[in-house]
Amino acid sequence: MEFKDKMIHTLPNCIENSARLFPNKEAFRCGKTSLSFQELDIKTNQLAKHLVDSGIQKGDRIGIYMNRCIETSIAIYGILKAGAVYVPIDPISPRTRTKFLIENCGIQFLITVPKQKKRAAKLLVEDISLKQVIGFSDDSDIKHFSWESIFSITLESYQRVNILSEDMAYIIFTSGSTGDPKGIMHTHKSGLAYAQLSASLYKLRPQDRVANHAPLHFDISTFGYFSAPYAGATTVIIPDAPISLPVSLGALIAEEKISIWYSVPLALSQLLLSGVLDQHDYSAIRWVLFAGENFTLKYLKGIMEKWPQAKYSNVYGPTEVNQCTFYNFNAKEIFKDYVPIGDVWDNTEYKIIDEDDKEVHKGETGQLLIRSSTMMLGYWNNKELTEKSIYKQQISNNLEQVYYRTGDLVRQDNLDRLVFLGRKDRQVKVRGYRIELDEIEAVLNDHPSIKECTVCVLEKDNDQKILTAAIILTLGASTETNELITHCRSKLPTYAVPQRIDVLKNFPRTSSGKIDLTQIRKTLISQ
Amino acid sequence: MNEKLIKYISEQLLNNELEDDLEAEDDLLGDGILDSLGMMKLILYIETEYEMKVPPQDMIIENFMTVQHISDYLAKQRS
Repeated sequence: MEFKDKMIHTLPNCIENSARLFPNKEAFRCGKTSLSFQELDIKTNQLAKHLVDSGIQKGDRIGIYMNRCIETSIAIYGILKAGAVYVPIDPISPRTRTKFLIENCGIQFLITVPKQKKRAAKLLVEDISLKQVIGFSDDSDIKHFSWESIFSITLESYQRVNILSEDMAYIIFTSGSTGDPKGIMHTHKSGLAYAQLSASLYKLRPQDRVANHAPLHFDISTFGYFSAPYAGATTVIIPDAPISLPVSLGALIAEEKISIWYSVPLALSQLLLSGVLDQHDYSAIRWVLFAGENFTLKYLKGIMEKWPQAKYSNVYGPTEVNQCTFYNFNAKEIFKDYVPIGDVWDNTEYKIIDEDDKEVHKGETGQLLIRSSTMMLGYWNNKELTEKSIYKQQISNNLEQVYYRTGDLVRQDNLDRLVFLGRKDRQVKVRGYRIELDEIEAVLNDHPSIKECTVCVLEKDNDQKILTAAIILTLGASTETNELITHCRSKLPTYAVPQRIDVLKNFPRTSSGKIDLTQIRKTLISQ
Repeated sequence: MNEKLIKYISEQLLNNELEDDLEAEDDLLGDGILDSLGMMKLILYIETEYEMKVPPQDMIIENFMTVQHISDYLAKQRS
């Protein structure tokens, strides 16, 4: 691809460049709404001008409080053009979590859509730190601006903010082991590095139609929101409704002539099981990317049979480094026991270390360390955690190389491919979401009726992962499990609420007195 | 039929506590009231409760967007 003489060193440069090269090409679409690159460039300038005129300074954090919709693209690039940092906030997460994010990031501006008016209004009653809401008009004390008013701003006096590639661009929150979510900070440099590396690896081109299945607070979305616009491709944002209904989703993929699909494996398994893949023409699909958790082989094979023309990519990478490894294959490939996570991509290197930070021998299991251009800046407001997550390789007295400790256990197989073996600590992935089991236990233990608890993931034969809590009630307590679920819902994101709570009389113990998790699993599965 | 479905969804499937009571016209899918697992559970409930089978090709937005849509769909199937 040719970018002529324009340098691209920030994320907004991607939009500006594509607006210059393909002004009338569709950049984003969602349902019946769509934006060309030129329209997106103008609308994001208008939003940026409004933000700067309202006093937004470089580095200020701005919340994006939206469901899946076209305005997400305007919000992201408008915020970035203003030199500010975008923070996705899931509108369906509990208000306590939303409040935490707003307070922790010092968010004063919230960008939303009319659809979230009711939820946003409830939030505003509590959150006095918010100064301005963009997305709908209202008569409350806080300043409101509708999208119409933003889109009527004239740009004659608009001055671009000088943004450096080292400036912070976005913060994505995942659950933290102390109970508070942790914010992963990325810069324009790390975000753009991801866009460029992925666009090059999958040979993205302007004719591509990229499906965006993930919500903004999930970093898989950076492929649709950064990589596709960088390459001048069209991103089709899948609306919320088909996400829950595979048959409708399957129809949409065919209708939109999606050429690149990227999601968690679960979405693909559901498509396969619904039978919809036999009903439409999917010949446009040329790449299928999946990440977030292991793809059960029988379902992966099923997809490969339905879409034999496609190439496939098993993507791996914690949010801290976005993507860092890949394993690409075609529909003929045969897997016996596992799909490897492959090798690191360009501008990236790795080490595998043991408990003493020593490199393991080839083929041995150890923790994966990653050094990459896609590396995060650190954790928001948490220097200590950032330090802990880093491994420093001393080159000389005044030179060191910084690796991220993924906390993931891997080994190299006999074909030199990396194989993912699981989390080092107790962080698990369920339906693509990262969950700290200890965080859920901490919340459960907060409840007065719970004497002891342990949380684990049970895998059922039909490939479902059930987040299950085993509890012992305090003497005399007669709490219903429903009440405990409600308790969890008020403190945890939806995906971290146990789907099942079993009351046990006592826990089996190992000889050292620890709860015997293997035994508990057996008990729970048999119940 | 609406009340029964609303009762089941409100008591068993809600993603998040709603501020107001669930209504027959509320968008179950677009508003984050039900996620994909919730939707699967709801379909399972309907199949058991109404002794019928919901074929995959019927599990579409047009039939499942709101409680009212579901009721209309069920009425059509049972007539």
